[in-house]
Amino acid sequence: MASRPTVTVIGADGKATGATEVLPKVFSAPIRPDIVKHVHTGMNKNKRQPYSVSEKAGHQTSAESWGTGRAVARIPRVSGGGTHRAGQAAFGNMCRSGRMFAPTKIWRKWHVKINQNQKRFATASALAASAVAPLLMARGHKVETVPEVPLVIDSSAVAGEALAKTAAALGLLKAVGAGADVEKVKMSKKVRAGKGKLRGRRHRQRRGPLVVYSTETDGKDLVKGFRNIPGVETCPVDALNLLQLAPGGHLGRFVIWTSAAIKQLDAVYDSKKGFFLPSSVVEQADLTRLINSSEIQSVLRGPKGEARTKRGHVQKKNPLKNKQVQLRLNPYAKAFAQEKLGEVKADEGKPKTVTVDFKVQLHEV
Amino acid sequence: MSNVSADLIWEISRLQNAYLVKRKTGGAPQFSRDPLNLANQHSRKYAGYVNDKAVGISANEKGAVQVKSKKAGSGNKPASGVHTVTYGGNKTSRKTYKAVANQVAKNGYRADLRDVAVSRVSAIRRSQRAVKPTPEQKLRGNAAKRAAAKQ
Repeated sequence: MASRPTVTVIGADGKATGATEVLPKVFSAPIRPDIVKHVHTGMNKNKRQPYSVSEKAGHQTSAESWGTGRAVARIPRVSGGGTHRAGQAAFGNMCRSGRMFAPTKIWRKWHVKINQNQKRFATASALAASAVAPLLMARGHKVETVPEVPLVIDSSAVAGEALAKTAAALGLLKAVGAGADVEKVKMSKKVRAGKGKLRGRRHRQRRGPLVVYSTETDGKDLVKGFRNIPGVETCPVDALNLLQLAPGGHLGRFVIWTSAAIKQLDAVYDSKKGFFLPSSVVEQADLTRLINSSEIQSVLRGPKGEARTKRGHVQKKNPLKNKQVQLRLNPYAKAFAQEKLGEVKADEGKPKTVTVDFKVQLHEV
Repeated sequence: MSNVSADLIWEISRLQNAYLVKRKTGGAPQFSRDPLNLANQHSRKYAGYVNDKAVGISANEKGAVQVKSKKAGSGNKPASGVHTVTYGGNKTSRKTYKAVANQVAKNGYRADLRDVAVSRVSAIRRSQRAVKPTPEQKLRGNAAKRAAAKQ
């Protein structure tokens, strides 16, 4: 793909305004699924609520072992009588009403520390991937109707009260070709399988577009407009989050930028002290182009051997049936066949009578 | 994005993507739901979303066949990057094959997809044919004799 330093700005009606924005440098960061996945796994763990079983669970009885000699296992047994519980085994993880094995504790290591530079690398990588249309499609976004990726919308269509109402926000999404993706999210809502239903995660659905705005220029009213559209998320440009840019650790979130946000993006990265945007190791990642380049082709030796190579070991052919093989073994076979020597009779009539001289010679007479 | 190539995209999305369908039985084949995939197979050659040049063929109404092809070099303009041609249902199959084969394979587009494209058109045309009603079964044996006696 050719280098594309600019991106067109789309107006509220979905048509190009004619203005262009220079693509920020982040978009040329290397796309590293391995790093994104690793960072995502860590970050995804940092919002967990600690849980554990009760400290007392399984220990609220005064059971003691009966010791040996009573022909029962030495597991602690509930003391007393008058109820079924008396004499039953207790405490052990194998016991009914016993404590679980290794009871969970709230002081489990719930959080994972990730190096800040790694997090920034991953975010940059996810941003770069969000500008590649095939990766958006591979993630499942319906971007077939989107005029350009990354999708940049003129800030004048967004700023102030313009998108304070959901109807206006949805209208804008449809105008810029993101309607299909929103529709996909709407249709995808399903009841979750399993216990999650009971734990505040009743439904699951796809993720739609992520709207990135600049708080200074665009204001915060658009958040209200977008927040009730299923799957659509909003994010200020100075607080970009990997969990939104690469949900599930999968690259290629469909991001809709306001022109103010994309303008600000370079400044956002410049302000990160001690962080330099990663650069690609290879400039040309197109394998076919690399192989066919004059630099590579000039140092390759030509193909060895003839244009047609003789096969080495092949199946044995019957020389009596296969004429070519027969000729290879017996060059005389051709003349033999042409002159029809095989059909010539060896018999030439009766043997001639021999003369007397000949017999004398042989001392037969 | 100067360094994003089809090869890179394939390597990123090869193991996991929205179009991929994995089956566990029958030798665990990997299929693709990509509309620009002629063979519906998950492979580098047929992956339409990956390749710069790709062809998708689908049925259209009234026996027509719709051919979509990607415009090379407009990878980041999804809305305008696809070229659509429809071959009408009144055309003979043979002429449609020829036209599709020429469109796919000529002008340095994707000569490697010629035969797959033609076989896909063929399959679509066959599916568009009206289904012949199954003839009513003739009575045989004693049932036939009884029916004859009745008349």
